[in-house]
Amino acid sequence: MSSVALKDPRRTRELARTSAPFLILALMLVAFYVLPQLSGREATVFNVFNSMQNFAALGLVALALGLTMIAGEFDLSVVGMYGLGSMLAVMTGKDSALLGLGIALLAGLFVGLVQGTIIAKLRINSMPVTLGGYLLLLGLTATIGHDDSQSYPNLSVGSSLDSVVAQIFSLRSLVAVGVFVVVTLAMRYTRLGRDIRAIGGDRRASRTAGVPVDRMLIGVFALSSVLSALAGALIAYSLATATPDPGLAPLIFAITAVLLGGVTLAGGQGAALAIAAGAITLSLLQELFSILGTPTYVSSLITGGLLVLVTIIAAPDLKQWWRTVRTRRGGPTASAASVGSSPAATVTGER
Amino acid sequence: MGRALQPGLMTAPPFIDARGITKRYGPITALDDVSFELRPGEVHALLGHNGAGKSTLVKILSGLVRPVSGTLTMAGEEVTLRTPQQAQQHGVALVDQELSLVPALTVEENILLGNVESPFLQRPGGSRAATREILDGLGLRHVAPSTHVRDLAIGERQLIEIARALSRDARVLILDEPTATLSDTEIEHVFRAVRQVVAQGRSVIYVSHRLGEVLELCDRASIFRDGRHVETRAVSELDRRGLIELMLGDVPEPSQRDGLHEDAGEVATVTIRNLSVPPRVQGFDLTARGGQIIALAGQIGSGASEVLRALAGLVPDAQGDVSINGKDVRLGSPRRCVDAGTVYASGDRKGEGLFLGHSVQLNLVATRLPALTRWGLVRRGAAASVARQLIDVIGMDRKRMRTPVVSLSGGNQQKVFLGRCLEQHAAELLLLEEPTRGVDVGGRMEIHDLVRVAAAHGNAVIFASTELDEVLDLADTIVTMHAGRVVRTLPRRLATSAEILGDMTHGNSESRAGVAA
Repeated sequence: MSSVALKDPRRTRELARTSAPFLILALMLVAFYVLPQLSGREATVFNVFNSMQNFAALGLVALALGLTMIAGEFDLSVVGMYGLGSMLAVMTGKDSALLGLGIALLAGLFVGLVQGTIIAKLRINSMPVTLGGYLLLLGLTATIGHDDSQSYPNLSVGSSLDSVVAQIFSLRSLVAVGVFVVVTLAMRYTRLGRDIRAIGGDRRASRTAGVPVDRMLIGVFALSSVLSALAGALIAYSLATATPDPGLAPLIFAITAVLLGGVTLAGGQGAALAIAAGAITLSLLQELFSILGTPTYVSSLITGGLLVLVTIIAAPDLKQWWRTVRTRRGGPTASAASVGSSPAATVTGER
Repeated sequence: MGRALQPGLMTAPPFIDARGITKRYGPITALDDVSFELRPGEVHALLGHNGAGKSTLVKILSGLVRPVSGTLTMAGEEVTLRTPQQAQQHGVALVDQELSLVPALTVEENILLGNVESPFLQRPGGSRAATREILDGLGLRHVAPSTHVRDLAIGERQLIEIARALSRDARVLILDEPTATLSDTEIEHVFRAVRQVVAQGRSVIYVSHRLGEVLELCDRASIFRDGRHVETRAVSELDRRGLIELMLGDVPEPSQRDGLHEDAGEVATVTIRNLSVPPRVQGFDLTARGGQIIALAGQIGSGASEVLRALAGLVPDAQGDVSINGKDVRLGSPRRCVDAGTVYASGDRKGEGLFLGHSVQLNLVATRLPALTRWGLVRRGAAASVARQLIDVIGMDRKRMRTPVVSLSGGNQQKVFLGRCLEQHAAELLLLEEPTRGVDVGGRMEIHDLVRVAAAHGNAVIFASTELDEVLDLADTIVTMHAGRVVRTLPRRLATSAEILGDMTHGNSESRAGVAA
């Protein structure tokens, strides 16, 4: 009886939660079109192409991180693998770009399997494991690259990867879009998606229910590292160079995009398509800043503010907190008035 | 299985045959050389005191833990179950006492979750028709398969858990305390489902502390005590008293109700006027005195537990005039309510009660640390001695002091939890939600005695319960609730079980409101 009465607001809330990343993306598109005009500039198709190029690299890193977050974990090593992937591709792909890409992906698979196995079998938190993994990979990247930037001689690879397709895409960003499509379909239409969300939502319950929790975890970490390596290898061919340290900017982009995409730190929730929306929103925002010539500190302020705002709006306890605030302000007098004269069986206990 | 049920039942070769099973957790032997057999087409009850070993046996049969020694034969084939998936492949489906639903997933997803036979490719809503049918069979017509489990009430969740096991077409269905959180109509649905399962020649292992259910539903019962198998008997040869005798080794005297202690110094006085707890409860009034034990009797959704939560300060927009010992209490903050003298024991002991990973000792003293602290540091000696007193009060072995609470049986966890809540200062208001949920007969009597002692020391006790037996056993004043309203209030000595049950399930006795005390 009660659940029938309460069903509708719950549906609405659920709908609001799942559609929020796409609403934000829509708002972003409007801002992307309108704001430059206000300051006498113009956003062109090329700016959209640029955003998608950014998405091609960092969107994949965001997806890698986001999948581990949906499974209730956190893969800090994504940037490490992104760096190692680009260095391996440049160093081993001088004769054949595909060979370099393959080696980068295999390295990613290996790293992910090792990290995932440690986390799943020893049941340790992924934070320390992947932080250690990040540092190890960073060191390994610098070792392989002789602690210096390495250039990739075969420039034609990069130019064919970056040649414009359908005005706003390139081969590279189409690869990213393709990966997102495949992961979205897998998350939605196979057992895997449900199981990943299950182990993120309640690990013990999933185990009791019969979900192969360890195998799923190892798989998620393997996928995460492979996606990061893919992103790294492609960006390295595109720029025809690999740096020994990609810095923390890709990680911060990934975390922000994932959170904008509605994935929670608690795990169990999220969709690949929404992560894509978050990553595209953030790419557009960065491009918008460069069109407007916004100083870095201002863009930090705006991005940070946006993230905090979105997190607060998405907070499940927001409504309850607001009710508490209102009740306190109303005080006891308001309470007596609102209850009024409800017909009640008056009760006096006796002994 | 084409075998006819009743004639074949006693002669059919067992589907599960477990021999000499032993399991130890550290120094504690949970199962000691236990043998157990399950025949096709029977409902087999596992009975025993808390910690008797029922749950451990269930876990072994469902692949969650592995025994130290012993052999397990299923359908004539010796098996080793390493994982729940392997148990599932041998045809075992478990409905665990601790729910194994994922709140973030939908009902449909939860029902498919972990099913080794569920196809790799699946469409959201793809098995909606099959899900619908199972839900309807369990009386969940109002629950859409696309509802998230986090939006369901606890009783509904329990039924979803059973729906999952039914969906797996298992040869053996294990139900561990399936009815602890259910109302009577919901229990009827479970019974019907169980009878359907055995009518198809499949078997059910039924673990319950409710002897009435065992007598009504089960064919045979295996009784366990202290990790040993005592006996397996046909239920038709047994009655309630016989079962209790086998479980406890002796029949405990029904405990005498002693009145308010002569030496109780302060006595609590509690008045509640016009309490409203949105969205359900309105205009709730109650007066309670120290020494009194008041039951709020109602099914899930009746508002009884909402009233307790509001009095504990856990509902931000609850309003009403509440005074404890003459002082007005502003609701809406647990801190203020605790300061005013309320002690609340939630029905959700895992989520809102115990610190599962910590020891029994730490859990027992967790709420009285300020009193055990000097200069911001906990005095270890004092804490240990208080914990020793409390563990004696709840009648648990002192050896378990350092055991993590998570490894105790459900009943013992509940004792630790209540032990912490009960032995507070006198003249307080104790709010107990389902004080014996998932606790067996012996443990229940002990917990009831603890509550009576607390009342005798001058505390006022209000407890919410969905269980008729508990209401009649413990309360001296009964307030029945239905759909957010009080149906009536009457002293225990004037109450009959039929009336109380009628009030709780229909709430249609407004016309008889004059009966109220």
